[in-house]
Amino acid sequence: MFYHNFKYTLKRLLKDKMLIFWTFAFPLILGTFFKMAFSNIEEKEKLELINIAIVNNEEFENNIYFKEVFKNLSNKNNKERLFKTKYVSESKANILLQKDKISGYIVLKNTPKVVVINNGINETIIKQVVDEISSQEKIIKDIINIETSNYLNNDLFKKNSISNDFSSSIYKKALKTIENSSIKLNDTSNKNLSYTMIEFYTLIAMGCLYGGILGMVAINQTLANMSRSGKRVAISPTSKLKLILSSSIASYLIQLIGVFLLFIYTIFILKVDYGNNLFYVIFLIFLGCLAGLSQGVGVATISKSCENTKTGILIGTTMLGCFLSGMMGITMKYIIDKNLPIINMINPANMITDAFYTLYYYNTPDRFYYNIISLLIFSGIMIFISVLSLRRKKYDSI
Amino acid sequence: MIVFKTYFKILNKLKFPIILYTSILIFFSIFNMQTSDSSNNFIATKADVAIINYDDYKGITKNVIEFMKKNNNVIKIKDNNFNLEDALFYRDVNFVIIIPKNFRKDFLDNKKPIIEIKKTGDYNASLAEMYLNKYLKTANIYLNVTKNEEELINYIERSLSNNTKVEIISKLDTIALNRASFYFNFLNYCILAGFIYAISLIICSFKDEKIRKRTIVSSMNYKNYNLKLLFSNSIFALILWLFYVLLGFFILGDVLISINGLLYFVNSFIFSICALSIAFLLSNLLSSKNAINGIVNIIALGSCFLCGAFVPMELLPKTVLKIAHILPSYWYIKNNEVIKTLDKFNFMSLKPILINLIIILIFTILFIIITNIIAYKKRKID
Repeated sequence: MFYHNFKYTLKRLLKDKMLIFWTFAFPLILGTFFKMAFSNIEEKEKLELINIAIVNNEEFENNIYFKEVFKNLSNKNNKERLFKTKYVSESKANILLQKDKISGYIVLKNTPKVVVINNGINETIIKQVVDEISSQEKIIKDIINIETSNYLNNDLFKKNSISNDFSSSIYKKALKTIENSSIKLNDTSNKNLSYTMIEFYTLIAMGCLYGGILGMVAINQTLANMSRSGKRVAISPTSKLKLILSSSIASYLIQLIGVFLLFIYTIFILKVDYGNNLFYVIFLIFLGCLAGLSQGVGVATISKSCENTKTGILIGTTMLGCFLSGMMGITMKYIIDKNLPIINMINPANMITDAFYTLYYYNTPDRFYYNIISLLIFSGIMIFISVLSLRRKKYDSI
Repeated sequence: MIVFKTYFKILNKLKFPIILYTSILIFFSIFNMQTSDSSNNFIATKADVAIINYDDYKGITKNVIEFMKKNNNVIKIKDNNFNLEDALFYRDVNFVIIIPKNFRKDFLDNKKPIIEIKKTGDYNASLAEMYLNKYLKTANIYLNVTKNEEELINYIERSLSNNTKVEIISKLDTIALNRASFYFNFLNYCILAGFIYAISLIICSFKDEKIRKRTIVSSMNYKNYNLKLLFSNSIFALILWLFYVLLGFFILGDVLISINGLLYFVNSFIFSICALSIAFLLSNLLSSKNAINGIVNIIALGSCFLCGAFVPMELLPKTVLKIAHILPSYWYIKNNEVIKTLDKFNFMSLKPILINLIIILIFTILFIIITNIIAYKKRKID
């Protein structure tokens, strides 16, 4: 009987086109959309060369230092290149700015002035560079002043005036001091910082939990108050445990196939990074599917409403869970984690997402285990509730 | 009247998804409302920085922290367990500075203490790093000149206290218009999903075999019946569109009382008509309500992801945008992006908008033609 029910549950579920669409195809399609939409975001957030213009008036031509700095920052061979610079007249610069060809332009009139079209990061960087040049000019002056006064103090008896040679050598010295003053920062940032990965992790979580619909449909087939086949099964002399177990295992199997297809698709086609521990990842998928299944079985047994409503409940809770764990914008997950952690502690979609995140981002397994245990507890509670409401159920009339 | 009444009775049953789509729109539009004053003064972009200081808060250590605070948004985060790393991953901060113990003493002794940093590698992180580099560089230079801490800080502060004049030449209220574009781009989802979902399901109900046969044998004129159905659909579309326009006023405020606002309305109206034609096409193509449910999701989500309703167009890969040309949503969203930047209104500046509108209309006509061909063939089979 176990095998018989198992086989027919498999057949019944696989032949339901809508069911297979939502559990198999929909996550794949959504993942493809994610990939198409998000693949460029992080690249575009990196600092790119900024298009600027400098008004080549007389003052600019005479300001050797200013000219030199911008030549350097626009040099193709410079590793720290920041700008693509055009040297044009003021009216031309204005036209370029209006046409959005440059982020801003610089005019030297007594003091440097930056002209931009609106606030923004490129504009801030231009201002910041011009600020820095002014600072350096001040530094050079300071150094020259100090050196000169030192010189005058020491050599007061030798010379009373400063020769040209001396001032140019001091100027060179000051420039050299600025050039040579490099600083070292110890960059200890994690290399796995791609936050769009979270979107794909929520997708797997969605796949796992959507699988619950399969479990729900399978269980409905064995419930007397839900379907005709349920009535027939109820009067047959078969142990209920066998029925429920075989239906559940059949739907779990289909669910696993669906999620693994999705998993393989995300790895090979969408190039999602799951960190280095494949064993843990697979283990997590098994558990995630179990959580989905137990949720589906739970909803099937607790709710007395029709199959469509149950599907609605499952899709609704899953989507809400995925939303809270960052599917529609990862900031959501962070906000909830930070301010209302309790919500994400009881949200199975977040347990799965967070476990993937931990495997990807952290080397320590503590938080991963925490999520695994949470998933186990969630599944346990759901199964316990289902057992409570299923056992010893009898109908006098129906 | 009976067709009309039935139409709205069925519509009433389908209200939940439409309410859901609308609440998503409201949620994201309000979520997107970052406060920022829209004055004509230049406001420097500030990176979000976390500073973890293991040294005493005085002298040069205090000064570097204050300098970073002045030029960045400093976010308070405790350095325990996952807080810092999480904040970095979710971009709550772009840059983390960890000042080691005895930094001040080692710095003044010219031992060159090394500051530990963590960064997200994006624009903001680069900006914050620039500031930190600038400060440390300047401090190092002056350290060659003086060993007196107070004098050193004086020198640093004086040389870093620059404020280059920045002039803004655009008068456009870019922040408000950005919000408006976000709202109308997101509306793409509601219009597509809501219109197609409701209208195709309703038409599907009318096409149910038993009901269709009953209508055919009734005394009602076939043309009259179709006309009423069309009229009901148009009324529904118009009401929903008007509702979204009013909602826009409610969320976005005064910015819509302008020519830009008017253009947004025209654009969304034309797009609504296009969505209507897609709904007609689908209801003719598909007969199962379940199938409609699936297809609606794919069309709505696909159009939104590929055309820039969820992720801004400028962040999408070029190939994706090329593919998106075959979708009407692309031209609708492209128009919103053009409207956002418009501040002169003459034929030349409005020309691209007109072209996009015409393309949307061509799509609409195309869908109507295909619908008619299919309907004609189906009737022949009958």
